[in-house]
Parts: sequence; structure tokens; C-alpha cells
Amino acid sequence: MPQRTVIIGSSQGLHARPAKLLVEAAARQPVQVLLSIGDGRPVRADSMLSVLSLGAVAGSTVTLHAEDADGAERALEELATLIAADLDAPDPAVPGATDA
Amino acid sequence: MGEVALLDRRAIRVHEQASDQQMAIRLCGQVLVDIGAVDPPYIQAMLEREKSISTYLGEGVAIPHGTTAGKDAVRRDALAVLKFPDGVDWDGGRVTVCIAIAARGDGHIAILTELAQILSDPAQAQALRQATTADDIIHLLQPESEQKESA
Repeated sequence: MPQRTVIIGSSQGLHARPAKLLVEAAARQPVQVLLSIGDGRPVRADSMLSVLSLGAVAGSTVTLHAEDADGAERALEELATLIAADLDAPDPAVPGATDA
Repeated sequence: MGEVALLDRRAIRVHEQASDQQMAIRLCGQVLVDIGAVDPPYIQAMLEREKSISTYLGEGVAIPHGTTAGKDAVRRDALAVLKFPDGVDWDGGRVTVCIAIAARGDGHIAILTELAQILSDPAQAQALRQATTADDIIHLLQPESEQKESA
């Protein structure tokens, strides 16, 4: 299963807007993507409840796991970039950041 | 620490009605005001938070809470649980349970994480939607370890 490890860049961790943007981006991917912290059980990256249940704070390291299929590498790349960015700062350059 | 310590029996309402999301949030905020957890300006902060990003969690549950700027209006960390049996339209989702959060600092994140872990179990989420008494709700939101300790 293709994986990618990334450090959370948002000061709030994966909560509120950063979590929502991640969940929306994960839902757009052609492959199923899971997210885990440490040795924890991987949870769905496209579910707000799952992502919040991780309790991922700023600076923690998370691992993305993509279903091994076409588009997996691209999905990992896009989601890893999103997680590493500071999504708390409203930035028009981040797709969806201005969405209510 | 379980969030049940933050949940005052007086802050549980099992039969509320709201015609829309804003009214539901106002009712939630008013309960937090009534139990002395927040000052009235917190309600506006809750409405603003919801406007900037929805607090819909999934499983019919929303978790209204204030913006960072609204934290000055928080007197103590607390939860309120309001059930809307008829449902409230929440940006296209249907909410029957609101868990309103008042928290200073980053306290709400630990609370949220715990709530999300409880609700990630579809059986628990369903039980929360179907709970009809304050006791049921307190029981559901109380982690098992604490139930054993207090038993």
C-alpha cells in the first residue's frame, strides 16, 4: 500500500478548517486514502469524524495510506501537500480555503 | 479526563425545536449562558464560527462552538447537549443532536477528539440520536473506564 509520512503544518492541527479541507480533498480522490498517527489504527481521511478522532495536533507526524490503484501517488502528493501547509491562515491560493 | 465532567445535567435538553440552524445555535448558546459557562457575547461568536466553517460532524451531530475571538466570553469549560427530534437542516445535512462546546485555550480540541472517538462507533452515534433522557446521554458520553471507576 503506497504511503507518505508528513508533519502537520497548521497551528490548530487537523481541526476546524484544516480538517475540513483535508476531508474534502480526500473525498475528491479516485482512491481510498487512510490516515494514521504513530502505531494507531488508520482511519478514513474522507470522514470528518475519523479525522477529528485522531486528535492530531500541530507538528505531529501522520501517515497517509492510499489504496494501491491508479492515481494513488497523485492522491498522496496532493493530500501530503495540504497537510504540510498552514491551512489556518486563510489563503486564496489554497483551493477551497475561501469556501464557507 | 472524560468530557462528562464538563456536562452538567442542567445543560441537557432532550426535546428542543428550531426552525433553522441559526435558531438551534442560539438555543445552544443560551443554555451555556444559563448554566453560567459563558457570557452572552459567546452566542454571537458561535454564529460567526458556524458562518466561517460548518461544525457539522456527521452522524446527525453538530458541535457548535465559538471563534477564537469569542474565548474571552468563556467563564469555564462546559458542554451542552440539545436534541432536536424533528431535525434541523445544517447546510444540507440533518442534525438531531447538537453538542455545544465552551472552552478556553485549546480545551475544545481535546473535547472534540473524545467526542469524535465516541461517535466514530456507529452504534454509539445511533444510541445518542435515540437517547431520550439526560441519564442516557450522560451514560453515552462517559467513557467506559470512568463508568467503572465511579461504579
